Amino acid sequence: MYYEYLTVGVILFIFGVLGIVLNRSNLIIMLMSIELMLLAIAFLFLINSIVIDNLIGEILVLMVLTVAAAESAIGLAILVAYYRVRGTIAVKSLNLLRG
Amino acid sequence: MYILVLFLPLLSAIISGLFGRKIGTKGAGVLTSSCLVLSAFVSCCIFYETVLNSSAVYVKLWRWFDSELFTAYIGLQFDSLTAIMLIVVTSVSALVHIYSTGYMSGDPHIPRFMSYLSLFTFLMIVLVTSENYVQLFIGWEGVGLCSYLLINFWLTRIKANKAAMKAMLINRLGDIGLILAMIKILAEFGALDFSSIYSVMSLNEWGDVYSNSVGVNKDSLTVICLLLFLGAVGKSAQLGLHTWLPDAMEGPTPVSALIHAATMVTAGVFLIIRSGPLFEGSPLALTVVTILGALTAFFAATTGVVQNDLKKVIAYSTCSQLGYMVMVCGLSNYSTSLFHLMNHAFFKALLFLSAGSVIHAVSDEQDMRKMGGLLKSIPFTYTMILIGSLSLMGFPYLTGFYSKDLILELTYDKYYVAFAYWLGSFSALLTAFYSMRLIYLTFITDTNLKKEVSTKAEESTWNITLPLLLLAFGSIFVGYLGKEVVISNVIPPMISNTVKVVPLVLSLLGALLAFVIYDSVVCSSSDEDKIEEKTPLSQFGLKLFYVVYTFFNSAWQFNYVINHFIVKNVWKFGHLVTYRVIDRGILEIIGPKGIAKILISLTQTISNYQSGMVFNYALIMIIFTTFFISGASVL
Repeated sequence: MYYEYLTVGVILFIFGVLGIVLNRSNLIIMLMSIELMLLAIAFLFLINSIVIDNLIGEILVLMVLTVAAAESAIGLAILVAYYRVRGTIAVKSLNLLRG
Repeated sequence: MYILVLFLPLLSAIISGLFGRKIGTKGAGVLTSSCLVLSAFVSCCIFYETVLNSSAVYVKLWRWFDSELFTAYIGLQFDSLTAIMLIVVTSVSALVHIYSTGYMSGDPHIPRFMSYLSLFTFLMIVLVTSENYVQLFIGWEGVGLCSYLLINFWLTRIKANKAAMKAMLINRLGDIGLILAMIKILAEFGALDFSSIYSVMSLNEWGDVYSNSVGVNKDSLTVICLLLFLGAVGKSAQLGLHTWLPDAMEGPTPVSALIHAATMVTAGVFLIIRSGPLFEGSPLALTVVTILGALTAFFAATTGVVQNDLKKVIAYSTCSQLGYMVMVCGLSNYSTSLFHLMNHAFFKALLFLSAGSVIHAVSDEQDMRKMGGLLKSIPFTYTMILIGSLSLMGFPYLTGFYSKDLILELTYDKYYVAFAYWLGSFSALLTAFYSMRLIYLTFITDTNLKKEVSTKAEESTWNITLPLLLLAFGSIFVGYLGKEVVISNVIPPMISNTVKVVPLVLSLLGALLAFVIYDSVVCSSSDEDKIEEKTPLSQFGLKLFYVVYTFFNSAWQFNYVINHFIVKNVWKFGHLVTYRVIDRGILEIIGPKGIAKILISLTQTISNYQSGMVFNYALIMIIFTTFFISGASVL
């Protein structure tokens, strides 16, 4: 009965991945996609902790939420600093370093 | 004493080569000449002991190398064949040394020249005295090397350099045959010294009669003989590999006399005579030897008839006489071949040295068409060259008569090589023809020399005329004196008198023909107006004559054919296939160049994946993470 929830979690994760891969314009969307991926993972953790009736999953979710908050804070800070330097936050223009 | 005959030429070569600056021009000449004269005396003593007292001498000097069952010694073997060769080599060489002191006077490099001559003699003696094939090969290669050094003695001349390279390379082609034959002999007999091989071959006859237990395989024997013959073909300038001999006339005349008359070219015949027991086991090889020898004799005679260079006429005559020697070897009459070799050495050295005297007298002009009328100014040389020529064409009671006519009789006796007899007889006619032509154009006809040259033409100093005189005695008497010693075991064939007299008649006819034709040619060419009013038929005849003349004059176009169909293609192959396709092509592509190219392009392709686009990085990361996770789960 939890398979639907699992599917939802996976689909959400895939949306997050696609958001990163397909997005070429905006860096904020990328950050949001990362948040979405983290949320999807947290969701999957929760469901699994219920399914196997284990509390560690929920503890991990709390930690993931903390990490996600810290990550988005740092990410936004980098974004702001980057915008100050370059004047744009388009992902396409992030190509100064190549192989 | 037996080692002295080897040691003296080596000593004189070393002293004159290394200390030539110290002993000076005259010192080098006197030293080398006296050493060689001593060596010639020693070889006379050896001849007395080994041939006349019939006691062969074997000197084992030291062990050279061992390998399993095979042991090679440095050893000397003095049997009658060696003794006769020694007489020829050392006496002709001593006379050539004396001659060179006169002929080469004024040349700045006489010590070097003398050193080369002595070294050549030494290596030739090594060749003839060796008791196994390996040591023979030292001499074999050594005389090739010395011929290279001597032919381009005047190393500033490009033609001399080319001729020397040609001589060396063509000889090397024959040397490959000798090496392969040696390997095959080692595989079949397990030994390379002559005495072992001879004894195994004598067992072989028993093996054929009773059982095949000890017999050597017939087919491999044929292979051995043919390979040995290939070596002889290269060295003795038989048809096919003969092209180096006429070109080798670029060297100084004494060199031609030493190398291309008496010693080096006879090494091939010597090899056949030495390997006689092997050849006896293979009728096929003997037939090949006879046929090729007869063809060489005929070919060289036809070519010699129309050559205009004084030395080239004699060179082709050498080629032709070598053909006779090889031909009679193929009929298993090795002693006759050796006899002709000995006689030929004397009269051919005489001819060459006389030619050198003529060239010396007319200030280095070699073209016969530009000579003539020298009879009055250099009668001594004329006499010498006449003796040599008469001996060469087998005039009765001169040296050539005893061997050459015998060769033709022996050839006639073997009915299955009748064509060899006729080729040989016709060559005898042509030999007489070109000998007389040479004498006529050089000495008898009206002079074509420049006046200042012809007035200055005179006999040379004593050290040029003395060797000529001695060689002339040799050309007259050696045949008569030597025939009891050398060919005492040859049974003259039972053939009718008319056949016996045919070669002599042909020779005289040829000589007469030369006189008549050149007399009439000289007469007819004096009134040139008649050439204009010729009938079409005679014009056609003239055209045909020119075609034939050009064909023979360019030596049957052998040089052209070999250059265009072999040498050029080999060069092309070397450049296109081995160099461009293999060396610079395939090997470079799978070697350094190709691998570097592939690596560079590969790394560039890989580094292109790092495009600087963040979303690409993310995609790659995700794909590989997926792979990793799925792979981990599989495991």
